[in-house]
Amino acid sequence: MCLNHDEIKQNPSHFEESQANIVSSNTEFSNYKDLIAGMKFFDPHIHMTSRTTDDYQALADAGVVAIIEPAFWLGQPRTGLATFKDYYSSLVGWERFRSSQFGIKHYCTIGLNSREANNEALAEQVMEILPLYLMKEGVVGVGEIGFDDQTAAEEKYYRLQLELAKEMNLPVQVHTPHRDKKKGTERSMSIALEHGIDPKMVIIDHNNEETVKSVLDQGFYAAFTIYPFTKMGNERMVEVVKQYGSERIMINSAADWGISDPLAIPKTAALMKIKGIADEDIRLVTYQNAIDAFAQSGQINVTDFEEPVVIDQTQKFNGNTILRGGQQPRIDKDAIVIR
Amino acid sequence: MKYPELLKMVTTLDKIFEIIRGNANEKELAWLEEKTQNAKSTQLAFVATPRFIGKRPISFELANNQTKNWTLDRLVRVYLLLKLENINPEGFEEQVNTLFDTAEINESIALYSALPLFQQPEKWLLRATDAVRSNIGDIFDSIAFENDYPVKHFSELAWNQLVLKCIFNEKPIHQIVGLDSRANQHLADTLSDFAHERWVADRRIPAQVWRLVTNFLTEIIVKDLESLFLSNDLQNQIATTLVCSQTNNLEAKDLLNKYPISINPEMLTWEYLENQSAICYV
Repeated sequence: MCLNHDEIKQNPSHFEESQANIVSSNTEFSNYKDLIAGMKFFDPHIHMTSRTTDDYQALADAGVVAIIEPAFWLGQPRTGLATFKDYYSSLVGWERFRSSQFGIKHYCTIGLNSREANNEALAEQVMEILPLYLMKEGVVGVGEIGFDDQTAAEEKYYRLQLELAKEMNLPVQVHTPHRDKKKGTERSMSIALEHGIDPKMVIIDHNNEETVKSVLDQGFYAAFTIYPFTKMGNERMVEVVKQYGSERIMINSAADWGISDPLAIPKTAALMKIKGIADEDIRLVTYQNAIDAFAQSGQINVTDFEEPVVIDQTQKFNGNTILRGGQQPRIDKDAIVIR
Repeated sequence: MKYPELLKMVTTLDKIFEIIRGNANEKELAWLEEKTQNAKSTQLAFVATPRFIGKRPISFELANNQTKNWTLDRLVRVYLLLKLENINPEGFEEQVNTLFDTAEINESIALYSALPLFQQPEKWLLRATDAVRSNIGDIFDSIAFENDYPVKHFSELAWNQLVLKCIFNEKPIHQIVGLDSRANQHLADTLSDFAHERWVADRRIPAQVWRLVTNFLTEIIVKDLESLFLSNDLQNQIATTLVCSQTNNLEAKDLLNKYPISINPEMLTWEYLENQSAICYV
């Protein structure tokens, strides 16, 4: 989830002062994709519901082979159970299909987000249907859940969903608040530990330089969202990896309806390469660590996206459907003529 | 429930269970046994199936000597639905509606695969036509192909929509159960209109679809056949030769003399065109 512009003004980036310390040089490559040719990426947090089909094409072209779409706040508050239900169904149905057309394996996490946890009458009903979705194929965790305003209602539903995750042996994807982030992050972690959840089953999301140390020290996974203006910039991310290494660290784009970038992972990988981060460390933070964390659900089979997809134009005729497992026909975006 | 209905249910259920028993391991069978004790756990087991049952490909026959190539989890899901109907006949409809409303893609496929095996399949007509409206390829395919629900229960309108959507999406119509038996005049006329639209856009339609007009030729469609003969395309010519030799329409039969094609007789079959369609779809 991102902030609107008013919120940006109210919450200027904490890191603005330290920008000068970051050396940005030699990043003007004509095509960053040359630097990452042949690399595979896994984006463990991206809201494709809010993105266009062109973004799927761009993700596929940049080497993103699998993604996780956490359930989130759509921007417009929901007023009934049916719209929650339809949204969850779209994450395991239509969106999964849309992604497959571009050869990208789509997983999701299902949860009641923190903002809408504040509508308690509705939240109660949503909790009733959550187990049905959490049991579904390709659902790799409970998420994104946690704190936004850090209200009592948010805490109540965070705790209830932690219990669900424990019961179903699923990883938890924890959204940390934009405001009062440091305290909110600590609170999220201590509640998880209080419920007896193994920190290795918890991915603390939207970290920054101020929160990362404590998250790693306590044994949690630390996810970083590369998102302009409100979250991490990728130059800062490079510095984080230089300082903390690559163990239990992963990056994501959280691309959604805000000004965000679905190619944040491939771009950050290219930048890491320029800045001299070792290939293996890049692989861990842009691919493997996310797989290790969410595969604890038992729902990720890497052969689904590691075996190259054969794009055989005749396959669509023998295999019943034009769209199965393959790719959409390409069009030349710059052509004036449309056929 | 009437006795014959009960018998049908029991035998299908037993038959499916035997197939599962021959393909599942002990752990999987124990899970299935444990989860089918009551209606609620059977319903939830349907959702959780792939977490406990493998996705091994299996090959089996249920009826009509029609071989099905499914994965084990799909057959287990169909079994669970029939079991639900068996143990909770009163609440069955509601439980299945909940499953439909919350289904992910593979659950939907299993639900549509099970429809023809339900006790009162006609009750599920709206669900079945929803699958035809789906743009998710595999869901559409689960009602369209190797499924005898449409041929038995679809109205002419719904049937024609199914066939047309298959053609429009370049899918293999010959996999629709009962394709020739439900050909009709409306479908033939609409196909002719559709072909005209494609031709004016400089696009084509697969030659094998012309099989659907054989017994419903009109003056307009005979003209279409003539332009197909003149199209310089071997597949079109094979299709029209087949239509003209199988129809009772005399004008069409005359076209055979007017435009004879010399060709290896082995190629002069609809099956040949089914397998060649790739070239024609481009």
